[in-house]
Formats: sequence, C-alpha cells, structure tokens
Amino acid sequence: MLSFLLRRVVAALGTLVLSSVLVFLAVQSLPGDVATQVLGKDATPSAVAALRDKLHLDRPAWERYAEWVNGALHGDFGTSLVSGKPVGGEVGQYLGNSALIALVTVLFAVTGSLVLGVLAGLYRDRWPDHLISTVSLIGMSVPEFVVATVLVLLFSIAVPVLPAVVLYGPEATVGQLLPAVWLPAASLAIVMAAYIVRMARTSVIDVMAGEYVTTARLKGLSTWRVVTRHALPSALLPTLHVIALNVAWLVGGVAVVENVFNYPGIGKLMLSSVQNRDLPVIQAIALISAVVYVCCNLAADLGAMALNPKLRTRGGRTR
Amino acid sequence: MPDTSPRHAPGAAAIPRRSVLAAAAAGGAALGASWLLTGCSGAASASPADALPSGAPAGRPDRGGTLRIARPPASDAETLDPASSLSAYEYLGALYNRLVRIGPDGTLVPDLAESWEPDKEARTWTFRLRRGVTFHDGRAFTSADAAYTLRHILDPKTGSPQAGVLAPLVDPERLRTPDPHTLVVPLKSPNAEFPSLLTNYNCYVVPDGSAASIGRTGIGTGPFKLVSFTAAGPGRIAACEDHWAGRPVLDAIDFYSVANMQARSNALLAGQVDLLSQTNLDFATARVVANSDRATLARVRNAQWYVLPMLTTEKPFTDVRVRQAMKLAYDPEHVLKVALQGAGTAGWDNPVPPGTPGHLAAHPAHDPEKARHLLKRAGYERLAVDLYTSAYDPIFTPMALAYQESARRAGIRIRVRTAAADSYYTQIWMKKPLMATYWYTGRPVDQLLNQVFRGGSSYNETAWADKDFDAALDRARRETDDGRRRELYQEAQRAVVERGGAITPMFADRLVGISRKVRGYAEHGFEFDYLGIGLKGA
Repeated sequence: MLSFLLRRVVAALGTLVLSSVLVFLAVQSLPGDVATQVLGKDATPSAVAALRDKLHLDRPAWERYAEWVNGALHGDFGTSLVSGKPVGGEVGQYLGNSALIALVTVLFAVTGSLVLGVLAGLYRDRWPDHLISTVSLIGMSVPEFVVATVLVLLFSIAVPVLPAVVLYGPEATVGQLLPAVWLPAASLAIVMAAYIVRMARTSVIDVMAGEYVTTARLKGLSTWRVVTRHALPSALLPTLHVIALNVAWLVGGVAVVENVFNYPGIGKLMLSSVQNRDLPVIQAIALISAVVYVCCNLAADLGAMALNPKLRTRGGRTR
Repeated sequence: MPDTSPRHAPGAAAIPRRSVLAAAAAGGAALGASWLLTGCSGAASASPADALPSGAPAGRPDRGGTLRIARPPASDAETLDPASSLSAYEYLGALYNRLVRIGPDGTLVPDLAESWEPDKEARTWTFRLRRGVTFHDGRAFTSADAAYTLRHILDPKTGSPQAGVLAPLVDPERLRTPDPHTLVVPLKSPNAEFPSLLTNYNCYVVPDGSAASIGRTGIGTGPFKLVSFTAAGPGRIAACEDHWAGRPVLDAIDFYSVANMQARSNALLAGQVDLLSQTNLDFATARVVANSDRATLARVRNAQWYVLPMLTTEKPFTDVRVRQAMKLAYDPEHVLKVALQGAGTAGWDNPVPPGTPGHLAAHPAHDPEKARHLLKRAGYERLAVDLYTSAYDPIFTPMALAYQESARRAGIRIRVRTAAADSYYTQIWMKKPLMATYWYTGRPVDQLLNQVFRGGSSYNETAWADKDFDAALDRARRETDDGRRRELYQEAQRAVVERGGAITPMFADRLVGISRKVRGYAEHGFEFDYLGIGLKGA
C-alpha cells in the first residue's frame, strides 16, 4: 500500500516538473519578441532594450528557467510587468476569489448531481430517469458561456434579482462578492453536473445488477440499506475520477465564466495578463493550474484506494 | 491549461470536447452571447442602421444624483497622472482642466486660459490665465502650475505620449511666468497652431511639483474631486460645490472597471450602471440596448476613422499611380454601408473629420475605369495584393471584404488575410504593405497631419515622405492669418488624398450605451461634458 502511495506521489511530482517545463517553453515561444509585445504600440528601441535587460532576455533560456523554478519553490514568482507588484500576492488574491466560486460550484454540483445520478440509476428507464437524463444531456451539450448568458438574461435582466456583473476589484470582501457568486457558480455547476450525473447513473445501474446486491436483497434488507451500505460505495468509485476531472476542469471553466461576469478571479487575471503579455503572471497561473490538476487527480486516486479494498492490497501482494 | 486528459476519463468519450470548447469560448463568448441576446430581443430588423436611434434622450436633468459609469481599464497599472500613457482616461476630464479645449464646433475655447496670443512670427505664445481658480486641496492655481504641467509632460521620466508632439517645439527651460496669471511659451520654431496641441488629454493641468503624488491624489481644478480610486477597479468622485465654471448637475460619479465588453453591456441592461464609456457597441448588442426598457443608444459622431494604410516603401505601393488607383477603385459609400451599416460618414481618403474647421471637402470621384487605366500605365494590370485584417476590431474584416468587393470592379484582386489579434500591432501594423486599422478622432488638424503623415514621424503608418506636403505643414505653422492657414492645411489634405498612402474609407460613429435616465450627455472627440450630464428622476 505504501509503495502504491509513493508511486502516485512520484508520478504527480513528475507531471508537475514536466508541466513547469512546458509552461516555461510555451510562454517563451509566444509570437514576437517579448519586450516588443509588452510595450506594444509605444515601443521605442531604447524602451525595448531596457525591458529586455530587465527581463534578462539576453541570458540562455535554461538559466532563466532554473531561476524561475527556484523562486517558485520559495513562493517567489517574480514581479508583475504591469503592476510592478509581487506576482505571488497578486495571484493569491485572485485565486482566493476564484476559490469562492469553486467551493460553491463543487458543493452544489457534486451533491446535487450525485443525488440525481443515483435517483436516475435506481429508477432506470422510468420517468425520473428520463427527465434527469434529458436535462443533463442538454446541460452537457451547451457551453458554459451560453448558460451564463441565459442565466444573466433570466435573473439579472428579465427579473433583476442577482447582479449581472461584479463591479468590485480583486480586493473585494467575501460579503461583497457573495451576491455575485451564484450566477457564475450556477453556470459552471450546470455544465459540470451533467457529466457526474451520467457517470453516477451508469455505475449505480452496474452495481445494482451485481450479485452481491441481489444477495443483500435476498437477505431481506431494505432498499435504503442496500443502496447506502452496499451499492453506493462501489458505485462512487468510478464517479470519483469524473468528479476529480471536473474539479480540475473548473480552473479552465472559470476563465470563460469569470470574464462574462467580470468576476475578479484567476480566470479574469489570466485573460488580462495574456493580453498584456505579463509573462510572470501567466507562468504562475499556468503552474498553479497544473498543481490544482495534479492534486485533484492524486486525491481521486487516493480516494479510490480508500474505497476499494482490492486497490489497497494489490500493492502488497505483488511484492 | 484546462485540458481534461482522455487517459483518465473512464468511458466518458465526450469529455475532451470541453477543453476545445473552453478554448473556443474565450474567443467566441462575445459573439455567441450577442447573437443569443439578439435572438431573444426579436429585433433583428433588415435595415439595421435605421433601427438604431441617433441621439440620447433630450430634456434637462434633475439636480443631484450619482451617475454610474462602466469603463474599460487602461491597464492594471492605471494612474490618475494625465500625462501618463496609462492614465485612467474617464477620470481626467472630471478632475482636471486644460488651458484650452475644443468646443463642439471644433474651434478652440478657453478653459484655464482666458485668452492667448502669439507674437508676429508665432514664435512666442502668451497665455492669460483665469483668476480665482483653486485646486481641490485649496491652493490657488497660478502660472507656476501651468508651466510645471508642461515640464512634467516633457520630462522623459514621465514617458508621456504627448511629449513626442511637444518636445520639438517647447524647451522646458525657457518657459516664463512673468506674473501669477501669465504664461509665456517661447517655441523652438514658429507654430501658429500651438495652442491646439494643448487640447490633448495628456495636457490636463496638475499642481506645481506634484509628479510623485498626482497619480494617486488626482488633485486638479476640475468640477469633481477624487473620493477614491483603484487601478483597474472601482472609484468615486464628488462634485465641487463652488467650482469656477459652476456646480456640476450631479452629486457624484461612480466608476467601475469592466474589461469584457459583453459584461459591460450586461451591466447596463441589468441596470447596474448608467453609461458605458469608451465602448463602441457592436451592431447586434446595440440593437438589444436600443430595445431595452432600461437603456438606450447615444452616438459620438465620427468618433474614429478607419484606414487601410499602404506602405509607400513596399512594392507596388512605391508607385503613386498604384496608390491613386487603389483609392479610385473602390466606393467609400459602399464600404460604409456594408462594414458600418451606415453608422458613420464616408471618408473619401481624407482623415480630417468632416465638420472640423479647415476640412477639405473636395475629393476625386469613385472611378474604377480611371483606376484600371492608371494600373495599366504603371505596369500592374492584374494587380493582386494581400490585405491583412484581424479580430482586434470587429469592423476590420467587414471593411476589408467590402473593399475587396468594391475594388474588384477595377480589376484589383484583394486577398483578405486574417492575422492574430494580440500581435496585430507588433507584427502587422507598419510591417505588411496593406492592412486594416483605425484611429480615434479628436486630434487637432495640425497634430493629426504631423503625427500620422509627416515624413519620419513614428506614427507615420504609410512611411510616406512627401517634401511638398511637409513644406505645406511648415508654412501653415508659420502662417498667423487664420484664413490663409486653413488654406495651407487644405493643401496638405489634398496631398494626402491625391498622393498619400492611406486609403480612408470612412469615419465611424461610436454607439454608446446609456441608461434611459441619463440627460445632457454630450461627448465629441476627447471632450466629455461632466458639468451638464445628469439623471432624470435621480
């Protein structure tokens, strides 16, 4: 079991190192000279030279990579080319705001979709299943920015109960952001839930057809007990990975949704820093996305291990 | 980046689709959303420009109230220093005054200077300054502040965009302030149009010695004083009760920074803000706004001019006959109708906006036959050229396609090429022989012609160098007689139209979204009436 754990962690670390290299290379290979891009229309030769010097663009790429990684390990992501502030603090502020959306989204999407998925599985081919499956298929096929626009149309313009956009900056308090969290979270949750519902339904159907469920039923256990004690733990197993993937997908999903709602989160920062060619910020965000991604997958693997006795012991047996 | 690796997706084949959508959505969000809104509003009429209202609601505002303005942030490092290239534009006109500004008819009108006159050669300018004006911190405004403002703009450390215009004329060491209400500006070379160069939005007057703090304090002489300001964030300004030009109608203005245009229009439609500044609504969104219960449309006439600059240093545009043919070959009225849905004015290759004093109205007529003939003589009978465009501005591609279609009748084959939007101004502009771009109007005629068309200017996007044109500009600057000076500027415009490299099909109106409650909205060029704007039922 320990070696299984170790293998997973090492693989996760390897993925992170690889992604840091890719992130760095991708940013370096943006079209055009970086200094000219940052300065834009007002680039004079002397300004370009000064910026190239400031960014150490004359030094070899691997040297700059090593320096960046070293700084990042110590929590220092450099300073923003635009605001001149430390990237770490700036990204952290936006990340915190995004975490608020993510938390609400995950809470609602995961609990809601698991309940719906299990219901659909239990009432297979009956009307609750048809209803849930159809609605989730629609949710799956419509991109989040369309969902977001429809929600704004309904709840901000037609019946103005929720704000259409956030008018505060990144330093907004949780209290200020809270009324504005619901629409972005709902847009993300609708798209995200669809996948989890489908997966949960399929695995519940699989499990309920299993022999041990039949046995449990023959023993005379109530449906409730059969479902909660015997079927659900096994049914959750494959769903766990889908949940992890969807939580990781959130990092990308917020980029689109936050911009539609002007929500001061990591997605909005990402877009503006790409437009401004604020390279240190882009690198930091990309790396953080990779960390979130890897952590979600790692958590899913470990969670699956906790739920599945076979996975827990296999490592020990093969040795 | 947000990829859902298929390796980890147990049996969910649909998952990778999302990563594609997420990427596509970033670019397509505005388009998709505006399409959706149009669909719901049910107002997609056949002749769209006619359906768009042409003016803001008339009537007088009630006194008081707070106006909420959504604005695109200039940068995350925005500042209130007017001279900076990163100034938060919307605040400037409310917080500060200039010495002179441009009136609604395009002529110079007094602001902090009550009058100004040149010496006989237009080599030295004397400005008589308004008395009894105070800054928001209570200090009296004097000529020392006016002189300091010019020195601050010219200081290389400020990095002001207007320094390039003023530095060849003004020596900061030689400014004189003989008394607290007189500023004397000796020029390095005669310039009868010098005061017009001070109407630029970088030239707002700041207090003496304020360079280090002005970016945060915003202390000026304007009708509003700063309450709070956050770079790329919210801010508030409040009316000055005893302002020298009279008390503003409003009590206060709240500014909100909203980067995404779709989000800005949603905020207006939802009633969260009252005005979208520096926002040219696309036609679909404009129709939704016009049909909304809360919002409506106003226009800034001829707010920008669109141009297809031909690099005169690149073949085939080195030949003036080819440049003439490219202009005669197309019909500006057609391009205006197709690309702007009529919301603007045909340019006829003259970048000076109609209505500006000294505008040259005469122009060669659209003549595809003559274009064909000129090309034949120049040896480019079957001319085929690439025209670059991008998604940087929604008008670029429709304009390029309309030009392509129109020029085809003169036998010119245009291949429209789309380049990446985010590197458009570094990789394409001033690099490719033919491309699509635009400028904001509002520059005085002398600045416009010198900045964009004079040989050697860093903004000369056609790399045109014409001795006669440059000489006409020099003569105009020396000419103190207003009538004769206008004729010289017209001569310069004629040179641009007949020999220059800029194809200027049209001027575009800016479609501005405002709340139905807003009254007294008036904006032209870089001038915004902060004194008169107000709300009905505030």
